[in-house]
Amino acid sequence: MVKKIPIGPFHPILEEPEFFELHVDGENVVDIDMTIGWSHRGIEILSESKTWDQVPFLVERVCGICSCSHPYAYVKAVEDLLQVEIPKRAQYLRVITAELERLHSHLLWTGLAGHFIGYNTVFMWTWKYREPLLDILEAVTGNRNHYAMMRIGGVRRDIPETQFGMVRGMLDELWKKNDMLTNAIVDDPVIHARTKTVGIFNKDQCRLYGALGPTARAGGYNVDARRDHPIDAYGELDFDVIVCENGDVFDKAVVRQLENFEAIKIIRQCLDKLEAMGPMKDDSELCMEIGEVPPGEGIGVYEAPRGEVLHYIRSNGGNMPMRHKIRAPSFNNILTNEASVPGNTVADAGLITAAVDPCYSCTERVGRVDVNSGERYLLSEGDLIKLSAEKTEEIRRQLGM
Amino acid sequence: MDKEEVKKKIAEKFGDKVQIADRSEKRVYIYAENEIWVDLASFLFNDLDARFDTGVGIDDRDGVEVMMFFPFDKEHYFVTIKTFAKKPNPELDSISPLIPGAKWIEREIWEMYEVNFRNHPDLRPVLRSDTRPCDFYPHKRENKDKHEMSRNKHDGQERADEVAGRPVKGQNP
Repeated sequence: MVKKIPIGPFHPILEEPEFFELHVDGENVVDIDMTIGWSHRGIEILSESKTWDQVPFLVERVCGICSCSHPYAYVKAVEDLLQVEIPKRAQYLRVITAELERLHSHLLWTGLAGHFIGYNTVFMWTWKYREPLLDILEAVTGNRNHYAMMRIGGVRRDIPETQFGMVRGMLDELWKKNDMLTNAIVDDPVIHARTKTVGIFNKDQCRLYGALGPTARAGGYNVDARRDHPIDAYGELDFDVIVCENGDVFDKAVVRQLENFEAIKIIRQCLDKLEAMGPMKDDSELCMEIGEVPPGEGIGVYEAPRGEVLHYIRSNGGNMPMRHKIRAPSFNNILTNEASVPGNTVADAGLITAAVDPCYSCTERVGRVDVNSGERYLLSEGDLIKLSAEKTEEIRRQLGM
Repeated sequence: MDKEEVKKKIAEKFGDKVQIADRSEKRVYIYAENEIWVDLASFLFNDLDARFDTGVGIDDRDGVEVMMFFPFDKEHYFVTIKTFAKKPNPELDSISPLIPGAKWIEREIWEMYEVNFRNHPDLRPVLRSDTRPCDFYPHKRENKDKHEMSRNKHDGQERADEVAGRPVKGQNP
């Protein structure tokens, strides 16, 4: 007997799947309907059955790429409730891990965006440059992802001074590569023609839709939790918030590329501060002692690579959260597609939905409805990439390149 | 806008319909009556120029506590507004017509806690899969308790069957 195994609408190995139904008139998108929640894992409820110290382990697994951002926001929420300030060394160590994560996340996106518009060289270059970053993360935290650095009151481990040289060397090298990559993107006429004025999302729309991170800053909406709600050492570090004004796909790419330089600057400053502090004397420099968590509530925010992540916790005085709310930036950013996709073509729709940097499988399948005939059919990931790459080729031909 | 000024303006406009609690330097919590919920959100978002962030629902024996976060970024603090939608039929006016960014979080609170947001432009599940029963609201305390009790009871029965040498339900004898 033949059995049918349904797979989809999400890819079985990638996270955060979404399903987009595009309403099209010919090639033009006139409306979009989005469905999320295909892999709802009930993490909030799970978290409410874990002890305060077990939760970072769980929330690290909300997202593989943001595996520092979620525990960071969670520990800040608990520390907000407790009203404590953690040791200085731990603050710098937290910031270093978080900024290394931002670098690898932004490079990952740039590579995928390159692949999506048919620039596979960009894809291979950026992922090649990203690899030493993951090696560094493995060296300093023990893991390429799921770093397990955060704990309430501090961090789990120190970065010894012997590793500073290795980290600095990698950052110097990455600065040059990122510079080259940024110039290649900014100077390329085909990328200009392919991404400028595509998927515009302006400042007023950003405010109405609560857009966050590079999605908002590309449209001129100047929000960055690292500056606006400074936590730990961020208040004393020198860095710029990158803001563009057009809100198209090109600006979203530029914001991410330039943010890489700022992340490198931040890490260098933290390494300088740690060097000035000298070697660690005892464990109290890593983590302070935390007693019982009293009844109350706390809000923790942190600027993840995709935007501000917010964790809210409420305690009833027990050994686990009574309520734990997690809001990832993609929850706000994916909704912005509602305003940025209509008015563009099907070939651009995949690019625009990917430009908010959700996880890749978001563009796995797209339903297409012809508004005139009512005909429905599905586009796969391959179809979308093909459409997008064909459009780039067409532009290249028109420009005589 | 300065925190003290925001508190003063809200107290002047809404009087005894709000209770303001200043918990720390960077956190202000405001409890509001149901009828001024949308007006308060509108006042914060449009008049005081706060940013809309997200919302939370918390289930209680008598109703559902709904809160929304409005950060003031330039001044580095959060204003959280709260209200209480009473059971058995928790209902609130929707702020989505005013702030489109609140659409999904209101849909989520509805599907998790059964809070009916009046005037919501598109109130349907946002996280639920097609296969989950439509009248099951997973975050409601009675559902959590029911789930917990039935699971424990079942576990106990399995153990009793095992001890007595009877075939355990769900397993091949």
